[in-house]
Amino acid sequence: MVNYGGDEVAAIVVDIGTSTVRAGYAGDDTPRAIIPTTYGFHHIPSEGDVSMEDDAGGSTSPPKGSLKLYIGQNGPSLWREGMEVSNPIVDGLIDDFTVIPPLIEHSLADVMRCTPSEHPILVTEPTWNTPENRERMAEIMFEEFQVPAFYIANTGVLSAFSAGKGSALVIDIGNTMASVTPVVDGFVLRKGLAYSSLPKLVHAHARHIIAGKRIDLTPHQLISNKLPVDPGAPHRATLREDRIPGTTDSWRTWSETKEVEEWVQSVVGVLEQGWNDQVAASRPPRQYEFPTGYSTYFGQERFSIGEQFFWHSPQLVHGNPGLPRHIPALISDSLRACDPELRQVLMGNVVLTGGGSLFPGLSDRLSAELLRTFPHTKIHAPGNPIERRYGGWLGGSILASLGTFHQLWISKEEWQEHGKPIVGQRCK
Amino acid sequence: MAASAADVRSILSIPDSGATPGPSQPKKSTAQSTRKPEGISRELYSLIGPSAPSLAAQLAKPRLKQKPNLGGGGKVKWEYRPFKNSGRKDSLELKHWVKASTPLDTEYPFAKYNVQSTVYTYSQDDYTRFLEDKDWTKEETDYLFSVVQEYDARWYIIHDRYTYPRSGFTEPRELEDLKDRYYSVCRKLVRNRSWPGDDASRAQLISSFQFDKERELTRKKYLVSLENRTPEQIVEEEALYIEIKRLEQNERQFKKDREELLRTIAGIESGLPDIIEDEGILNLSIDVKKKKKGSSAMDIDSPSTPVPPPPVPVVKRPQTAKSAAYDIANCIIRTDPPTTIPATKAAHQPAYLRSFKLPVPKAAIAPKVTAALAELGISHSRLVMPTRDNSLRLEALIDATSALVETKRLVDKADYEIRLLKTRLGMRESEGADGEGDGGNADQMDVDEGAEGTQPIGEDGRAQSVVSTRSARSRKHTRRSVSVSSVDTSGTVSTRAGTKRQKRS
Repeated sequence: MVNYGGDEVAAIVVDIGTSTVRAGYAGDDTPRAIIPTTYGFHHIPSEGDVSMEDDAGGSTSPPKGSLKLYIGQNGPSLWREGMEVSNPIVDGLIDDFTVIPPLIEHSLADVMRCTPSEHPILVTEPTWNTPENRERMAEIMFEEFQVPAFYIANTGVLSAFSAGKGSALVIDIGNTMASVTPVVDGFVLRKGLAYSSLPKLVHAHARHIIAGKRIDLTPHQLISNKLPVDPGAPHRATLREDRIPGTTDSWRTWSETKEVEEWVQSVVGVLEQGWNDQVAASRPPRQYEFPTGYSTYFGQERFSIGEQFFWHSPQLVHGNPGLPRHIPALISDSLRACDPELRQVLMGNVVLTGGGSLFPGLSDRLSAELLRTFPHTKIHAPGNPIERRYGGWLGGSILASLGTFHQLWISKEEWQEHGKPIVGQRCK
Repeated sequence: MAASAADVRSILSIPDSGATPGPSQPKKSTAQSTRKPEGISRELYSLIGPSAPSLAAQLAKPRLKQKPNLGGGGKVKWEYRPFKNSGRKDSLELKHWVKASTPLDTEYPFAKYNVQSTVYTYSQDDYTRFLEDKDWTKEETDYLFSVVQEYDARWYIIHDRYTYPRSGFTEPRELEDLKDRYYSVCRKLVRNRSWPGDDASRAQLISSFQFDKERELTRKKYLVSLENRTPEQIVEEEALYIEIKRLEQNERQFKKDREELLRTIAGIESGLPDIIEDEGILNLSIDVKKKKKGSSAMDIDSPSTPVPPPPVPVVKRPQTAKSAAYDIANCIIRTDPPTTIPATKAAHQPAYLRSFKLPVPKAAIAPKVTAALAELGISHSRLVMPTRDNSLRLEALIDATSALVETKRLVDKADYEIRLLKTRLGMRESEGADGEGDGGNADQMDVDEGAEGTQPIGEDGRAQSVVSTRSARSRKHTRRSVSVSSVDTSGTVSTRAGTKRQKRS
């Protein structure tokens, strides 16, 4: 038991991201509960709506204030009349704490079927998290969930741990944020942190291309039937006219965003050796069918989207002063802020993580870019998509199952004794 | 399909001699008398009979391999127990699974990893006495020490988290500033305080706090400049590096070759390990070789009798009187290594038995020598007692015999020529009377006349061919010698031997 340093105390690791909330037991290799962070809600009048409770099915819908929430797999993705959709995360940080307890409650109690008050809970936070946010999170855990112990750990550090490294340069490309975090001896070098909302720009670029092709992004929830058509031919789908008046704008936006995301995920690639028109043209085009039944081939443009991660055209930079920095810029900014002695160490331990890094060719391209300036670069990019997407959670699972970690928990007793400052003192 | 011995016997109608019949021919009487073993069917038994008991035994009891006993045995009981971590200051109780056999009050096994680094503290008095620094206030030093303690002297992180508002400065302190301040304070504290241990450990501790700020800054500057190299510079540097490596390798190769050469040659010629002497010998031996080559190829005027190559100066081991006495006392006879062995790698001469190196007569006259020795009842190839004296005697005997055989041969030849000339003389006498004086001269074998007169006419073809290789000196020599014919033939013989030898070399 002592040999490998593990001592499992049935801790639970909760990793809240922009797209999904991951929760699971420490020591597992995969989160048990993965639910979308986006939730649907109804503004309900003062009296409770019992009939809607049945409609929600497996999802929980605890009334929060004047809201009725729809959380989980059957939350926003089920069409409900007049349902609004929202996401509590803005730029990787929790912006709206009102829905965080229901989200955690749903993933722990409804999906994992466990009682939060019996388990120590480790929560993750991005590096740019504010002290108020982490204190609020501790408060929620101790006051609402009555957890015996709590800890909040940095996703960058945890991603490095998931790769088995104490010191690493963590490149995390998520749903909305891309960040480069230098980690040394299990601590983040805050001065070396560089992050930008690059994935948003990539998404906007993809959306721009879709819009340029005048493709109808009507989601399948609004289509009653469709007929197969040849590629490029206009779709022959019948809409569910009965649902259209009851569809809210926020749900419509969310569903269209989801369609674009799915298209991006299945079509977009990155050229391994930098942009080259000939190579991009020589790659086989890929067919994609939208929910309406319309299908077409995508050739060169699918690589132009991936190129946004690494290079921005001068006119784009010129026209948008606040353009998010691309990955090479983030890396060089991060390294510039680090001690020159550390650069070699960090470049020898680059950890690539996050679901946004799963585009084909992205890790090869990254290594090609880095090797140009740092010949000793070694990139750790797990091939297993679960490990890549949930690197932060996995590192938390490792950390919270270590015997030596158990002295770091903030216990309920300590919380009651010291209050909020204990979080900042303990979780450095 | 293989026929048993019984089958063969029955085919060849040989009466069955063996007591055991083949499996294909079970004896009915025995089959009836023996019982059918367990676990084998009747039909099978009637086929194979009792001659396969091992198979039957195997069939009888199918048994699984015994399970390995991995110790402990039986079930291990685990309990879900709360535990306290002594590394914690509070009373948090977490639960984990442990073997029920572990005692309840065991120390948490991971608590021992909670090691704290030593903290250096100082009082206000200490500070004012020897820790004053114009760049640092006491408050900032206090802050520095608290941060160092918090992050266990992980300097990169300390530097990252170090935020102390300094009045009048906007630039944060450099990592080296922090390190310098911390280590200098620690040094001073250790030096000025009473030390419980000995001076050596104190000095060691102080030296562990040594920090050269200037050197670190220079090092970092170099590091940055190393990183800021352009690709061209890197390429050039690499090319230069490869070039240096190549040159070094060449040098090493050259040195190795030279050493090997020296060892090979020096080992044979002198056996001296000293390099300077080796070089002298090397030059010398090369000279010798050149001389040899010259004598064989160009120097026609050299004497027809081959001179032995000038003796290579053999540097003898200094033989002291003491060692000589020791040799005599222990019957040790030292022989000098032969100098004529061609220079090969086998510089070392191995030990050999004296009987293996018995003298051998010259190949040309060996049969005659052997015959002559055989007449005396001596075998030249075998000595019953090959002591040093005996082998020396044998050598002398063989030399003498060889000389004798040689002389005999020359005598025979001279006789033959005399007879030949006599017959010729007789022929001339019968032709005319004017050649009388010449004939008388020849008969007397006067030196000058004979040499001058007989050569142009009396020599046969073989002698003619030899003339060209003879030198003027040899002629002079012949003039002086007593017998024309004997000198001539000896000259011929030796010259031939000489040419042969030259060809071989």
